[in-house]
Amino acid sequence: MTKVVALYNIKGGVGKTSAAVNLAWTAAEQGSRVLLWDLDPQGAASFLLRIKPKVRGGGAKLVRGKSDPVALLKGSDHELLDLLPADFSYRNMDLALDATKRPTQGLQRVIAPLAHDYDYVFLDCPPAISLASENVFAAADLLLVPLIPSPLSLRTFEQLQRFVAGEVPKPRPQIAAFFSMADGRKTLHREVMDELGARVDGAVLETAIPAASDVEKMALRRRALAGFAPHGRAARAYAALWDELRPRL
Amino acid sequence: MDARATVLLLPDGLSASGAADRLAALVPVVTQSTHAIERTFWDTFDGRLHRAGLALADAASRLVLMDAATSVEQASGDQPRGARRLTLEILPAGILHDRLAPIVEMRALTPIARVRSRQLPINVLDDVGKIVVRLRAEEPAALAGGAAEHPLRPRLHVVGVRGYDADYDRVLAILTGAVGLQAAPRPVLDDAVAALGRPIGGMSSKLRIELDPAGRADAAAVAILRRLTEVIEDNTPGTLADVDSEFLHDLRVAVRRSRALQRELRGVFSPEPLRVFRAGFRELQVLTGPTRDLDVQLLEFGELAAGLGESTAGDVAPLRRLLEQRLVIERRKMVSGLRSERTRGLLANWADFLDGLVDAPQGDRPDATRPIADVAAERISAVYRRMVKMGRAIDDDSPHEALHDLRKKGKELRYLLEFFASLYPPDVVKPMVSTLKGLQDVLGRFQDREVQADLLRALGDEIAAMEGGAAALMAMGVLVERLVEQQEQARAQFAASFAQFAAKPQRKIVRETFG
Repeated sequence: MTKVVALYNIKGGVGKTSAAVNLAWTAAEQGSRVLLWDLDPQGAASFLLRIKPKVRGGGAKLVRGKSDPVALLKGSDHELLDLLPADFSYRNMDLALDATKRPTQGLQRVIAPLAHDYDYVFLDCPPAISLASENVFAAADLLLVPLIPSPLSLRTFEQLQRFVAGEVPKPRPQIAAFFSMADGRKTLHREVMDELGARVDGAVLETAIPAASDVEKMALRRRALAGFAPHGRAARAYAALWDELRPRL
Repeated sequence: MDARATVLLLPDGLSASGAADRLAALVPVVTQSTHAIERTFWDTFDGRLHRAGLALADAASRLVLMDAATSVEQASGDQPRGARRLTLEILPAGILHDRLAPIVEMRALTPIARVRSRQLPINVLDDVGKIVVRLRAEEPAALAGGAAEHPLRPRLHVVGVRGYDADYDRVLAILTGAVGLQAAPRPVLDDAVAALGRPIGGMSSKLRIELDPAGRADAAAVAILRRLTEVIEDNTPGTLADVDSEFLHDLRVAVRRSRALQRELRGVFSPEPLRVFRAGFRELQVLTGPTRDLDVQLLEFGELAAGLGESTAGDVAPLRRLLEQRLVIERRKMVSGLRSERTRGLLANWADFLDGLVDAPQGDRPDATRPIADVAAERISAVYRRMVKMGRAIDDDSPHEALHDLRKKGKELRYLLEFFASLYPPDVVKPMVSTLKGLQDVLGRFQDREVQADLLRALGDEIAAMEGGAAALMAMGVLVERLVEQQEQARAQFAASFAQFAAKPQRKIVRETFG
């Protein structure tokens, strides 16, 4: 049964794309067949995998069922990881979805025919709370939320939990969070991680992704960490995060 | 995940790295380091994966299902530890299991070849350094056990990357044009299996015998019976080792077919030895019957229990345990019987007898030298007419035995049509087999449900004495009721399917073709 994991946060710059690329790569490395859909019009995940952020026909045709998603897939440098690339037209995704018969199920409609080919589908979502996000909530089995250890993160995460519990129709996705860009030398980071860990017991994963220069280098190397620093702290943290996450799926 | 892929042969004198160098002069490539892998390939005894164009190999505790011709992966899953045979029951749930299920069914997968390969991956890159075509040079060798190796033809796998078709076409054109490579005529697995002296595509239990219509009837009988004896021998080791239930099934079908031919072509044999062999083959059939019945019960158990609904399906667990215990006992008896001097002697004497049949005196073998087309036509026509007569006599008040006897005759007709298919026009034989099959399905369902219901009834006392027996007994009551219902449905369908089988146009075709 294919599992859909959405990397999601209302805020940007929290490490969603790095997590999506590295977790997808790690899952492929372990023998799973993986699809990563780069939903962010900025196309950072596509860029990191050296794939042109371009979808023939654009996002509107895709969510309306007028394009065959299979024909739009691109193989990555890992044999078991494919990408459905970003497209600049995704910036108008809400409009495109709103014009469909079932505006909250457009993404599901795209994923459904692909699902049987993959064990995991990762969604790299743009930061926002919008119609596209509602689609993500409907399509995902698990929302994976990267949190920078700051007091505001706590508020944002609890807001998201409330929103999903109150507004999202069943079946609702599970929600799990992990600390991203964590710096163990900063007192504030340590305090927030302790406090948040205690307040939302079970929803925050044990593994934290460190703030590491390797992660920044991904944009320079245009590779997942496993491709150039497989034994570094960050790569090991993503592998541990996946090991922790997998049993929840 | 399906990618375009081709396998090319590397000609003598062109090494893997040599091919990479020639390609590197034309397109940007990155050559990785050579590594060795050892894989065991698995298939069913009858080569179901081969027939489906697939190959299953294990490497590093993973099972990988691939396209046989291109080695492109289609699904993978964890390999059950230490298993020497793989069945759907022991394969973990997942995509691999789901892909294999409709192909493998009740058969077990066993190792068919072990291959060691030196592999050199070569990636073709685009202008931003992304991999757009994957190449893999392979120098394989089949391992024959111990240190013995059979080197196989080296090859170059060309695998496209999804979404980069133009690059694939360009690289393939260079390899087959400028570099001069040609497509590999068959998969590396087939090369390995052939090098190990094993049959490519597994063992078939099919007859596939071409007969000369004017040839002697006894020679034709020998040709068919030798093939059936071969099938019995091929399937005996798997039956004894209990690899899967189909070995016994195929063995029994071959015994039943042999008996049908012994009976229907009795005029090509001397009566006395025939009597002895018929008795021997009958014993063989009886010896293997109870195990097969229990195999069928257990194979169909899931479906049967599923019909009970979720709340009571679990109640029949004691029944399953009892059937399994029974199977162990019956199997032991059968194995000892099949291994006995008596059975071995029977089959050896039968083979000798067939070897000498054509040269044996013909005095008491009136059909021996008649053209097989004449003898076969007589028998097909006679059995068909007999079936029509038997079927017409069946009405709502007829005893069950009347339907069972008709089914037995039907099997005989089916076998005759299969044995002698090559003698008659396919447009006569095929529709005839098809209407016969329709009738046999109904009769088969009728009888199978009765056998199943009888067995369940007979187990009642034992089940009652087991832990959880009371609930099981109640569930069995529901099952028996359902089986009886299904048997009645089959009986209700009999008239329609028999009418089709015995319809005037069908009778006319039989008369015109077989006399």
